[in-house]
Amino acid sequence: MSDATGTPTGTATNSATGIAASGPPRARPPAPTDAAAGSAGETVAGGGAFGPLRGQLLAAAEVFADGPSALPGILSGLVDDVDRALRERLEIFPVCHHSPASALAMAARLRDKQPKVVYLELCEDLRPLLEELRNCRLPVALQAFASEIDGFPPSWAPLSVVAPITEASAEYQCIAYALETPGVELVLVDRSTDHVFQWEPREPEPAEGHPGGEDEAGKEAAPHGEAGDEAALHGDAVGIEIGDLRPGFAELEEHLLHHGKVRHWSEWWDQYVEQPLIGAGYDTYRQVMVLIGSLFRRLRPGRRGLAVDEDRERYMWTRIREHLAATGADPSTCLYVCGAFHAASAVEQFGLDGDAPPFEISPRTGTRWLYGLIPSSHSAIEAQFGLASGSVSIAAATWAKALKHGGVTPYRLKGQNGARKERKRAHAPAPKVADRLSEFLATPPAPGDVDEGELLGWCVDIVRLARRNGYLASTADAIAVFETSVLLARLRGRRRPTPYDFQDAAVTCIEKDVVPGRRDVRRLCEILLGGDRIGQVGYESLPPLARNVLDRLEPLGLDLSKRTIQRALLDLDARPELVPCSRLLWILRRLLPDDAVRPIMGSRRLGERSIQESWDLAIGRNQRSLIELGYEGVTVEQVLEQRLRRAVWDEHATAAVALDAVEQSILYLGGRRLTDELGARAVELLSAERTVDGAPEVLRRVRRLLAHYRATEPALPRWCEAFVTTGYAHYCTLLPTAFVDEETGVRQVAAMLGFLFGMESLALSLGCDHAQLELAVRQSHPEAPAKVALLWAASSQLGLLSVADLRSRCDDLLANPLVVPSFPLYLSGFVQALEPVPALASFVVEVISKAFARLPDPVLLPWLPRLITTLREHAAELVPALVREAGRTFPATLAAVDAWTPPWSERPVPAPGPAAAVAAGPVTGLLAAHPATYDAVADLLGYDRSAPPGAGTPGPYALFAAHPETAEAVAALLGGGVS
Amino acid sequence: MTDDMLRAPAEVKYAEELDWLESIDDGPKPFSWRLSPRMVRLFVLGSERSDGLDREIPPKWFGDRSFVERSIVTLASDRGLLLIGDPGTGKSWLAELLSAAICRNSTLVVQGTAGTTEDHIKYSWNVSMVIAKGQSRESMIPSPIMTAMEQGVIGRFEELTRSTSDVQDALISILSEKYVSIPELDQDNIVFAKPGFSVIATANSRDRGVNDLSSALKRRFNFVRIPVVTSKRSEAEIVRFRTTELMRRHSIELEVPPTLLDILLQSFADLRAAAASATSDDEKLESALSTAEQIGVLEDAILHSRFFGDSTLRAETLASSLVGSLARRSPEDLAILNKFWHGVVEPRSKDEGGSWPEFLEGGRQALSTLS
Repeated sequence: MSDATGTPTGTATNSATGIAASGPPRARPPAPTDAAAGSAGETVAGGGAFGPLRGQLLAAAEVFADGPSALPGILSGLVDDVDRALRERLEIFPVCHHSPASALAMAARLRDKQPKVVYLELCEDLRPLLEELRNCRLPVALQAFASEIDGFPPSWAPLSVVAPITEASAEYQCIAYALETPGVELVLVDRSTDHVFQWEPREPEPAEGHPGGEDEAGKEAAPHGEAGDEAALHGDAVGIEIGDLRPGFAELEEHLLHHGKVRHWSEWWDQYVEQPLIGAGYDTYRQVMVLIGSLFRRLRPGRRGLAVDEDRERYMWTRIREHLAATGADPSTCLYVCGAFHAASAVEQFGLDGDAPPFEISPRTGTRWLYGLIPSSHSAIEAQFGLASGSVSIAAATWAKALKHGGVTPYRLKGQNGARKERKRAHAPAPKVADRLSEFLATPPAPGDVDEGELLGWCVDIVRLARRNGYLASTADAIAVFETSVLLARLRGRRRPTPYDFQDAAVTCIEKDVVPGRRDVRRLCEILLGGDRIGQVGYESLPPLARNVLDRLEPLGLDLSKRTIQRALLDLDARPELVPCSRLLWILRRLLPDDAVRPIMGSRRLGERSIQESWDLAIGRNQRSLIELGYEGVTVEQVLEQRLRRAVWDEHATAAVALDAVEQSILYLGGRRLTDELGARAVELLSAERTVDGAPEVLRRVRRLLAHYRATEPALPRWCEAFVTTGYAHYCTLLPTAFVDEETGVRQVAAMLGFLFGMESLALSLGCDHAQLELAVRQSHPEAPAKVALLWAASSQLGLLSVADLRSRCDDLLANPLVVPSFPLYLSGFVQALEPVPALASFVVEVISKAFARLPDPVLLPWLPRLITTLREHAAELVPALVREAGRTFPATLAAVDAWTPPWSERPVPAPGPAAAVAAGPVTGLLAAHPATYDAVADLLGYDRSAPPGAGTPGPYALFAAHPETAEAVAALLGGGVS
Repeated sequence: MTDDMLRAPAEVKYAEELDWLESIDDGPKPFSWRLSPRMVRLFVLGSERSDGLDREIPPKWFGDRSFVERSIVTLASDRGLLLIGDPGTGKSWLAELLSAAICRNSTLVVQGTAGTTEDHIKYSWNVSMVIAKGQSRESMIPSPIMTAMEQGVIGRFEELTRSTSDVQDALISILSEKYVSIPELDQDNIVFAKPGFSVIATANSRDRGVNDLSSALKRRFNFVRIPVVTSKRSEAEIVRFRTTELMRRHSIELEVPPTLLDILLQSFADLRAAAASATSDDEKLESALSTAEQIGVLEDAILHSRFFGDSTLRAETLASSLVGSLARRSPEDLAILNKFWHGVVEPRSKDEGGSWPEFLEGGRQALSTLS
């Protein structure tokens, strides 16, 4: 804009607000000193002083308004808005978020006016939290959180709203003043967090392209680069800001950026509003802010998003009126702090003197809101509200600098760093409405005001920082950066190099073709200019759960408030007092995000106990998660218990989930009551299940639990017994269906069989009937080859099919060329059968070996990958048995392979003579050498030693046949007839 | 004057515009600059309504404003300017524009190659004159850089990293001491640089590692990295601007249909995305897929249509020109293009229609001819 004039300095005037950026500078009118000197009130009301401004606005309005006809409305509206806001009896203080100029003006005004009541645009239900700010290191965010929602779509849960508070903000000045000054009342007047969601559109609509008009950006924090952790500090909460001031639509913003010759919105604001306003008088500040608010409001096409804003304004004014009526406070001693956007409001409820009926405020929903403070950071705020990276840090640096030079004493909450004593001052009268706007917009800022000392300091520091990060930077670079910053600022028509100019200069002079370290020069500049600041919630303001956790971890002797990762070493044998800490850490491990508490050594599983443990703790960095855990309960145990309960009572819960919960409760909570309750629920869930998808998981978990109980308890808990009997009956019932059902996998059926066979002895001892299983197997008629193989295996386990039969069936399959292609499927079934019928391992090895030997390659090769993946997937259960058996079957050395014939291909040796039946061994040898004892026993028992061995029926039967009396007596006793 | 030249340098081509800018320029000018830094920026990036000029200055280089600003202030400072970036990102064009705007002379250029010697940077001798008259300033042939020093203007060094390290290092003393001594002469043996002298060098980031700059030279240059244009809008602008210029040069009147321009831009965007996700060099085209290549493809197609076609730019011609320009290695590039044509262009032609089916067909034919 000003390059056309060619003057390097002093041409930023017309762009003091940036609105005029589109106007031709050469046509800039002379400073209207006469007009400004006239009666201010009249000037504003009549709009005469705004004539020159009108001319400059023309260009921007022409481009964006609906047509030339909209212009008079916009222009007179701007004047009206400023006039209305300034004439209001209740003093309105327009603010912009993260604006040091706002904060400075606020601090100065509060000292002058000493208001008795401060109305602040912030959700009214967050008021109790403000007291807690004393214990925190800013920036922190006020949070409202609701997981149990009532009245909102269930898919919205959990609801979370955050309102970040930084030190360099007007709202913090206002809060600190109100809380630190006795007799001052701070009233939050904006809609409650509940209304934030009540007023959200219910239909899933794509988010608006810009957070502009609404204060809720609703943007997900996008972690970027190294600052990712910090940027994600707010999680996915909806953000609320006081005084969000941005053009409501992208075109205007783009226009302003383009003509302002800046890269992003923060830079535009800093250059065209912030810098000129710092040091300006209160009246000027107020008028300029309202003007900008009004401009953005009026240039918004249609009524995009305006309805909600207007409702909020009605809400706020209604609340203010209610409060004034209730307390009878004198409006002249009150101050209303709101965003500049809302200061330029034209709703009918605006002002104290309007006669519009109060806005009807809808009741809150039944949602239970919980409140707390969470740590925030500059980068989190930037990410949430779509600000340029580093802009909040630069605002903080500007604030600190302005404090140093400006002589304004800021307000601080006691208990925070640097709290000072306040001095009492007399009331300042309400400001008289006088037109400062024209004067401000027309007067050039003081030229050439380069803060040399500061810039030099930056140049020296950036070189030092760059060197530390691997750059070959030297003093010569510092000089070059300084020179380039000044040249750049001059080229861009700025009074002095802004941090953005400095950043560009540093990149130009120091950055070469490669970045030697982790951070490039741009990032280093951000760090230099304040870096990211991360807030912390003080111990006293933490919820009870978080305090409880910190207390209980105290024996570790670590400062858990640090944001670094800390290593905790727990020698549980040497220091048994650390055992509770270990227990707590394991619970936190389950409840907090992965990186918060990470075990390096040690494990916690059923039947295991660590002697030593080593942990990486990053609790300080995950303070938000810990605080949000506090919304769920008072102790972590309670939270875990609730979560386990919720998991098992969920409508989609399965028996496997319930068994997992049981395991968790044993591991972490230890109480019998909850475990039994969860176990009982597991039984209930199992009997209600209609599918067997979870069977493998159920089998694995119940086995582990049974082993645990057998090892630790004298008797199984009642629920466990019930689970086994119910499971036995349940799976028996489902077995025939599962065998034929196409959707049920082989693995599931194998797991069912595993449960039935594995738990059978226990189930039978608890009163189940083996016949049920046998019947179920008999009723099963699968068609899929894999399941057929499984059924054969099951039958062999039940004694319904001998191994010889099984072998001959397999041989038949291999011999039948029509079935050969599907043989691998049978094999898959046998492999799965290893789990329920481990005794079949040798047979499975045999079948696999035969398959490898006899199957043609086109059949075998495609199947091999599947075999490998199956084995890999279920390595823990299947592979050991298979490998052990294979090791037993195959020769161990290479040499032996040549001479080896598989045991199954050896011809069955014809039955040897009876003598051969007597196994050789030491016992036989001894008996043969000393037959006297054995003969005596035979005689005593009446055994006929003269009969040839092996003739007739074998021993015991011969004995019974020779002496039937005993057997008959037993039969009679049992009540059975002897046939 | 421009009529006699195939390609007039920027200061000749835009002489009238530069004269006008100089006449209205009342800003402070560093050294002997002909324009103030703001006017240089205006000349390069073009004017806007808000600049309030009586005539419109068209933009000549498209890219981020801050690159130009950083380049200008570097030239006003003590250091040389090194523009670094992928081939075809407009480095040399920016260098030419800056030289033209600052000192009305963009022709003092040294082209860096493997055969560049120190003589090309400093000076050499007219051998016959030396034999006849002995060594004197008369028989000395100053290099473009030395001429720039003597005149206090901008010297340019193209493809700095293509020349060998010892040659590069000859620049060190020129950039820091700002004089060149001529030990062969007994008197008048130092050439001092006049105020306004500076060097704009360009380097291709793809050549990194061939002849790396020494640290000493690096710190005498400010690096400005020019990225590949990824914004479709500004790329379209660049292609349109350059093609119009080229057509004017060839006196061709032919309209480039916007749909074809879209197809070209889209194809390049797709190919770039494919190259970005490739894991090895064999999976990406040898071409850098820069904006300049797009211009090349379009120019090729236009010339073909003009001289061998019916003076209408068709999608088939564009496709064959694209294949012809990008297929450099056989079979790697051809395979990639074949995959692109069947995996991306074909579905697009089914979904979007328009000129895509013709484009598809043209590409297929070109590929089958080449393979």
